[in-house]
Amino acid sequence: MIDVTMANRGTAQRPNGTQGKICQFKLVLLGESAVGKSSLVLRFVKGQFHEYQESTIGAAFLTQTVCLDETTVKFEIWDTAGQERYHSLAPMYYRGAQAAIVVYDITNQDTFMRATTWVKELQRQASPSIVIALAGNKADLGNKRVVEFEEAQAYAEENGLLFMETSAKTAMNVNDIFLAIAKKLPKNEQAGNASTSGQGRRLVESEGQKPATGNCCK
Amino acid sequence: MATSCFSNVDEYGFERPHNFNYETYEEFMSEYLKVLAKRARKWAEIIGEGRSLERSITIKRYVRKGIPGEHRGLVWLSVSGGEELRHNFHNLYQQLLIGPHDSHVSDIIKTDLPRTFPDNIFFNNTDRHQRQLFNILLAFAHHNRQVGYCQGLNYIAGLLLLVTKSEETAFWLLKVLIERILPEYYTPTMKGLITDIDVLAELVKIKMPDVYQHVTNMGLPWAVITTKWFICLFAEVLPTETTLRIWDCLFYEGNKIVFRVALTLIKRNKENLLACQDFTELAECFKDITKDSIVLQCHDFMQSIFKLPGSLPSSTILKLRTKVEQSHKDQLNPRAGR
Ligand SMILES: Nc1nc2c(ncn2[C@@H]2O[C@H](COP(=O)(O)OP(=O)(O)OP(=O)(O)O)[C@@H](O)[C@H]2O)c(=O)[nH]1
Ligand SMILES: [Mg+2]
Repeated sequence: MIDVTMANRGTAQRPNGTQGKICQFKLVLLGESAVGKSSLVLRFVKGQFHEYQESTIGAAFLTQTVCLDETTVKFEIWDTAGQERYHSLAPMYYRGAQAAIVVYDITNQDTFMRATTWVKELQRQASPSIVIALAGNKADLGNKRVVEFEEAQAYAEENGLLFMETSAKTAMNVNDIFLAIAKKLPKNEQAGNASTSGQGRRLVESEGQKPATGNCCK
Repeated sequence: MATSCFSNVDEYGFERPHNFNYETYEEFMSEYLKVLAKRARKWAEIIGEGRSLERSITIKRYVRKGIPGEHRGLVWLSVSGGEELRHNFHNLYQQLLIGPHDSHVSDIIKTDLPRTFPDNIFFNNTDRHQRQLFNILLAFAHHNRQVGYCQGLNYIAGLLLLVTKSEETAFWLLKVLIERILPEYYTPTMKGLITDIDVLAELVKIKMPDVYQHVTNMGLPWAVITTKWFICLFAEVLPTETTLRIWDCLFYEGNKIVFRVALTLIKRNKENLLACQDFTELAECFKDITKDSIVLQCHDFMQSIFKLPGSLPSSTILKLRTKVEQSHKDQLNPRAGR
């Protein structure tokens, strides 16, 4: 289901009438199957958690809005399928994305490896200005941890990524990671409008974002 | 809702959506139950008298009008050629279950078991359904090693199991679907899927150019909308009974039916789609059109799929597939075409 809700997360909502900006950004979630991508989105958008979350086929689309000081940031969130063979469809989802959350499961080393290959792919193929966050999910399962915090943090620093350990189950750091991304996204006139920069042919996209045809910030 | 004579779980164990309109549904069912009774009588004659279920004009017409739930497994097997396969390889399923099994494949399947229909009362209340689903998927993955296990097959096999209540029947039907009825949707490259997504876009372009243009203008890729339609064959997309009515025709008439359903969904909602002002609205609208009362009224909906999209010869689909595949090749290797 698509939910368009005004969140009162982040700073308090502005009273009507102030001339704050509204920015819309396309954000994509990538990572191995069952690491908790859909669960993170469900927690962020609806504040819920399902012990058994259905596997995502293709991709799911949701929106959520956060308020940051003067700016309202509207995320268009693309939650993708994790299985390797859906990989060939992935460029369609990260094309034109201004932000990505690459998710791994702290209890599974392979998913961390997979996350690093996603980061490489994004650095090569996605928009050069994309903001990438790394999320070490299932942090509530500390007793089964195999990926050390320090290891992931060092990797994130080397690669200029935002990094947090999260838990969709307990809600730890879930809003925070989206807010951190929102803070890092450029909120000036050049910031892309997700809908318009998300289109076009894959092959020419690497030349960088075209200036948005419509301003995202009004 | 408390006053409805229909429970909040359908006959296959699926919870109805929380915003389910019981009133409209009761109205529809009071008519549809008559249809069902009549169809049940007609099918009982054929099956009771042991008449052939082989493909014929009569059977095709009957199939289009809907197969009664209790006969679905049998009829699907007969009209799709699955029965013959099962007869010729009668020990295959048991042998596949014995193994040996690749532990990597079985782990991937296991991860998806509790994530398949978690809201279905049969899948979440008993281990039996999950174990049977595991067997079907494991056997198929070892039987067809090119496909192995592809996410999405869990929903198809799961629904086949709910309908046929037999692991082995579900296995044979899954095999027929993947290997005979559908192109290469589930192989590692998903080549057939990527082709058919674009074939559908081409069909929309031909039949509803305004919709095609609008979706393009909004920047919404067709794959985003339709991947799940193709992969799950509308399971987890449309209401259960509607999906099963579609599968009735799919087993008899082949994958063309998927295009008919997709085109019907789009055409019936053309005005709503065209009214969407931006990308977000449009993406939302494409989800809504799989949930409204039009698709719940499965009998009317199934009649409309043979009328509304207009003619759709197999030759057109084949031609479009060739065209789309060629253009994919040219994109990969742009110099070759010059
Ligand atoms: N303990 C714990 N379990 C989690 C957490 N996040 C997700 N899960 C569970 O992990 C399983 C997979 O979660 P999903 O959100 O479906 O994973 P996904 O990455 O979307 O998987 P695909 O759609 O297959 O790509 C579900 O059963 C969740 O309940 C978490 O933070 N802690
Ligand atoms: Mg998911």
